[in-house]
Amino acid sequence: MRSPFHTLTILLTIILLLPAVNAWALQSHGEPEGLYVHQMAHFLFMGALAYLYWHTRRTTALPSKGWRYLRIFCFLLFFWNLMALTGHELSVLLAPEDFIDIGTWREQLAPPITFFKIIYFIAKMDHFLNVPALLALFISLRTFYLEARAEIGK
Amino acid sequence: MTGLPLLPTIVVDFTGSGLVIFLSFMALRYSYFLVKLQPKNFIWGFLFYFCFAMAAFSISRGVGHILRIILVLEEQEALWHRLSPWSGGFNTLLMISVASATIYYHSGLAAYKAIRSEAEKLAEANRKLAETADELQKVNTYLEDMVEERTLALSKSEKKFRHFFENSKDMVYFCDIGGKITDINQSGLRMLGFDSPPEQFNLLSFFKDDRALDQYLAAISENGFVSDFEMELESSDGSARHILLSANAIFDKNGFMTGCEGIAKDMTRLRNMTDQLIKQEKMASVGQVAAGVAHEINTPLGIILGYTQLMMDDFDKTGEVYGNLQVIERQTKVCRKIVADLLKFSRQSGSAKIEIDLNEIIEDVLAVTEHYLNISHIQVSRRFTPALPRVIGDAEKLRQVFINLFNNAQHAMADGGEIIVTTSHDPAANEVIASVRDTGTGIADDIKPKIFDPFFTTKEVGKGTGLGLSVTYGIIRDHDGSIAVESPVPEAETGRKMQGTAFYVRLPVAVEKNAINEEQ
Repeated sequence: MRSPFHTLTILLTIILLLPAVNAWALQSHGEPEGLYVHQMAHFLFMGALAYLYWHTRRTTALPSKGWRYLRIFCFLLFFWNLMALTGHELSVLLAPEDFIDIGTWREQLAPPITFFKIIYFIAKMDHFLNVPALLALFISLRTFYLEARAEIGK
Repeated sequence: MTGLPLLPTIVVDFTGSGLVIFLSFMALRYSYFLVKLQPKNFIWGFLFYFCFAMAAFSISRGVGHILRIILVLEEQEALWHRLSPWSGGFNTLLMISVASATIYYHSGLAAYKAIRSEAEKLAEANRKLAETADELQKVNTYLEDMVEERTLALSKSEKKFRHFFENSKDMVYFCDIGGKITDINQSGLRMLGFDSPPEQFNLLSFFKDDRALDQYLAAISENGFVSDFEMELESSDGSARHILLSANAIFDKNGFMTGCEGIAKDMTRLRNMTDQLIKQEKMASVGQVAAGVAHEINTPLGIILGYTQLMMDDFDKTGEVYGNLQVIERQTKVCRKIVADLLKFSRQSGSAKIEIDLNEIIEDVLAVTEHYLNISHIQVSRRFTPALPRVIGDAEKLRQVFINLFNNAQHAMADGGEIIVTTSHDPAANEVIASVRDTGTGIADDIKPKIFDPFFTTKEVGKGTGLGLSVTYGIIRDHDGSIAVESPVPEAETGRKMQGTAFYVRLPVAVEKNAINEEQ
């Protein structure tokens, strides 16, 4: 028996094909598209991390301490993504006038220091989340390895 | 109003990028170890790909950030603007890769869970198997120890009872329900006259008396045992053995009798000794009575004989009275002879003992009697041992002994036969043995114990007084010797029973201290 999903897919295809008019086979890509794709990638990454966190937490078949560290990694990296995503958005929002001595060691955010500028400043510190996240990932993998080796040793 | 310096963010970005690259590669290293350790584990495969994508992402992003900082600060912004889209593009691509890897996580985890579940089941089964094996091993070890212990105990017990069985001086036997002997010790074999168990070996066939056999079988079947049952067994050489038997029936688990086991004590020697003692006591009592009677009768007989002989002088020798007196005199002398014999039996008569050669004594007797024996078709064979040790004895009385024995042999061989006279020396007992064997009718078992009794005779009335063997017995006892009878006689070479009777006279060899001793 055919599943409802397959039936729906076939019907949707027929409906889409019936009112077909002009087809533009080649589409050009403008400048913001890369940023959009990058931001969407962050979202996708966040979704994947959230799923990994949620699923490893609810799965009782994964009792290892390594999974706990992996969840810490997911948690931290999720917020890192959020922070990076925010940073990217603010980079677009802030104008060149909002910076002083751009491209030098003395580069500053020009006054007045607004809320967005403070958020931008914080977002630029994203490695405070990224480094601990990768540390948790490293510890997680090391824990998995030591446990697996100990189990084989039994 | 001053701005917010971004130098800290540049330092954090630069340092953090390096650390992230380092840590991501460390994680990748361990994920690689995991895959190498358990290549079939799907989760490790996922984590390896995840870490690989993360490392690629980290290096792409980290290097990009470091390059950006360096190039911008080195005023190479144009170059950075050319590299920037590539760095960003790689970052995007690798982030999507990491996210994609997670998509496969679900099915990977399901597979992992299934594998894990199976592995756990397997591990549980293995654990239970190991526990069971361990338990079995323990039980096995315990059983082995127990078996070893029991075997040792059984071996000790078997050895103990085997030793008892083999070395018992009594007969110990096991037989089936039909009496067939299944196991018997050496004493038992010897008792029944065998060196090794014969083919057909049935205990019941050795019972001499059918009545005793019936009693034995009845007691075993009714009571399940016999205790101190006195009976006679006839061994393979025909000799009788007095046995004291205790036996138990053997039952199977259903209560059916399957055989019996028993212990038999040979009482022959004790029985013979007892019989001999009884006999000696009897003979001593009879001897005392005979001596008393003889003394009392001897005097009146002497008076009767004296007066008879005086009266015979007063009457004419041709007259009737004289003839009657002759009869009285003759019968009185017979009576005196009987009295004299009784005195000899009771050892009341005088005796003159000297060192004598028994061969000479027998030869003296044969010189007188052989002629008469030959007339009766009786041949005499002499089997004398030369240089026979001398004995202490009364020659006249010993001659009387052999006269009596030859007379008895002659009477036993009415149709002729052979008398074999043998003399020998038994150094162990330090005795001289003289045997007189005939080939006559023999002596029945039931009268054997009575032959030495005074006045016991198998001859017709008037043909014997029944004092011959009694006197012989008395004389031999008076010489500290012994006399025994055997009938039928076993052949020396084959052990086969031959018809006839043999009397064995044993006399002690003379020694220095037993020098001539005369007693009245």
